[in-house]
Order: sequence, then structure tokens, then C-alpha cells
Amino acid sequence: MKRPKRSVRARGRRATGLACLIVLQSLCALFFIGDVITDVLAGVKPYDVHLTIETLASVTLIGGVAFMMVELRRLLARMDDMDTGLKVARGQMAEVMDEFFDDWNLTAAERDVALMILKGLDNDAIARVRNTASGTVRAQATSIYSKSGTHGRAQFTSLFMEELMSGDFSPRHGSDGFRSAVAKAPDDSLRAE
Amino acid sequence: MAIASIHTSGRESARDVAVWDPLVRLIHWSLALTILLNGAFTDDESKLHEWVGYIALGLVGIRLVWAIIGTRPARFSAFPPHPAQAIRHVRAVLGGDKAVHLSHNPIGALMAYNLWLTVIALGVTGYMMTTLRFFGIDWVEQAHELAFNWLLLSVALHIAGVAFDTWRSGVNLVRAMVNGRKRIPAGTKVR
Repeated sequence: MKRPKRSVRARGRRATGLACLIVLQSLCALFFIGDVITDVLAGVKPYDVHLTIETLASVTLIGGVAFMMVELRRLLARMDDMDTGLKVARGQMAEVMDEFFDDWNLTAAERDVALMILKGLDNDAIARVRNTASGTVRAQATSIYSKSGTHGRAQFTSLFMEELMSGDFSPRHGSDGFRSAVAKAPDDSLRAE
Repeated sequence: MAIASIHTSGRESARDVAVWDPLVRLIHWSLALTILLNGAFTDDESKLHEWVGYIALGLVGIRLVWAIIGTRPARFSAFPPHPAQAIRHVRAVLGGDKAVHLSHNPIGALMAYNLWLTVIALGVTGYMMTTLRFFGIDWVEQAHELAFNWLLLSVALHIAGVAFDTWRSGVNLVRAMVNGRKRIPAGTKVR
């Protein structure tokens, strides 16, 4: 299965790579700048070819570093936004599921089975996880479908898909993911209590 | 049951907040490495000692630039040098305050500035010793020695502070500097 988590990890690697490049290139830039300064102090003429190239190299390296720093910031901000969005969506999905299960008066065991159905486990796998006969799971699944007024696994799952697509999910509360993720959390925990 | 337990555990349990970006972490550990190398392993008179010193100086330089244009917790504005606030923070901690700071806490911020300034002082006096003008001049060498001793003391305090704050707040600060995330325990206030 391809999940967004992977791309988060890939971006994390990219960010680390960028950080390494920034450090190495900055140190190179400082080396060249130091060299230019010592050359000038040693009395090399400003129009000397060697000095000109060295100065140009320093300027280019610094420009590159600045560019990479901006790029790194943008990348990190995007990762933060994605992280926040995912968390919010996950939290809201859990709420939606809870409400539905309450509405249908599912028993504790049925909630468990329903959750696993939504997570994509088949009856045999659910039976193995719950240590019951697969016949039991089949009976519980049937009960879940009838309570929810659906005709089977596919329709049951699509109930939640529909909720996700029609619902008004707008996780962006601020332009900066860092603060909004933090600011959001406290009132979340209040609601849970 | 399952839903409910997942639901509440998601809310009640610790939450991870990304704090230190890769550049901050890379610079932190590289700087620690250069200090370790020059403090314990390289020959003081050697070229290697000089180069490691320049790298340390460069690392601090990059960090200071990143503190202006970098990510939010890495910026000066997230941890301004504020001695009065540091004292207030210490009082609050002694009074049992368990709040967590996402960036450096006020006293930790002072330590960060102190460490950077000390490394700069070491780098500058070290460079001066290589120049003809200051070569063999006593006060420069003494300043270098003094700065080094001050750095040793600061590093020891820094590590002690990290250990203490990890114990006090329950946020593993070493882990935060490795993977960049602070795991904040449930019900903890965040500043």
C-alpha cells in the first residue's frame, strides 16, 4: 500500500540531505572568503585573475547556500502542514466513526470487528486477531451490516468514504503548521475529557 | 471499545511536536564533535587543531545565520537572551512548574548563547595565535586557555541542564536533538 507516510519520510531524507549540503557548502564558502581576505591583505591586486575567480566562487557559493536555506525552510513548512493535516483528518475520522458506531448501538465486540473491517482485514484475519472462530466474526459482521443498513463490506466502507469526501475538512488554521499544531492540541484534550 | 480506546489514547497520550530541524541538529552534533576533537584528541600545535577550530567557527556562523532566517524554533525570536526571564523561569521550576518550552527554555537559551560566544572567542584567539602579530603573545594564549576552561565548564553545565530538564519535564531532550521531535506528555502546558 502506498501511504502518505512514505512521502513524509522521503521529504525528511531530502531535508537532511539539504542540511548536510548547506553545512558543507557554507564551510567551503568560508574557506574561499578567508582565502580572498588573506590574498587582499597580502597585497594581491584586486584585478588579479586568480583573486577575481576566487571572489566569484565565494559569491556563488554564498548565493547557493542562501537558496538552499530558503528551500529547506519551505520544505520543512510543507512537511509541517502535511503532518498537521493528517493528524486533524485522523482525529476527525475517529470522531466520525465513534458517532456512527454509537448511532448503530454496536456492542464492544462489534465495534472491534467493524474497526478491523474498515482497516481492511478479512474475516479470517479478524478471527485470528480476536482469537475466535471465523463463523463468529461472520455473524458479527452480518450484525454490523444490518445495524448500519448496508449490504456488505464494500457498502459499509463506502459509508465512511462518503463522509470523508462530503465533510468539510479544512485543517489549516494558520499559515504556520508549527504553531497551529501546538495551539490545536490543548482544546482537543479538553474535548476528550 | 476498540475505537474508544484508540480515540482516547490518541488524545491522552503524549504528542510529538517537530521542533529541531535537520540543520539545527546537524550543526549541534558537528559542533559537539569539533569541541571533543580539539579538546581531547588533536595536538594543540597541529594544523589539524587549527582547521577543526575554523570548522567550529564556521558551524557557529551558519547557526547564527539560520537563527535569523531559519525555522521558527531555531530563530532568535523563539529564544531571546533575557536574563530576567531566565531568573523567573528558574523560580517557576523551583516552584514545581512543569511547563514545556518548544524551543530552548529561557535558561537554556542563555547557555546556547554562552556556548556560541565561547566557541567564537576560542576561534578568534586561536586564529590570533597563528598570526605574526599576536604569535607568542602571552595574553592571547591565556585568553585561549581561559575560554577553553570556560567551555568545559559550560558543556558540563549544559549536559547537567539537559539531564535535569529531561527529568523535570519528562521530555527527552537528547532524543529531541536526535530525531528533532519533542514528545510532550499529556496535560503539559506548552510555551
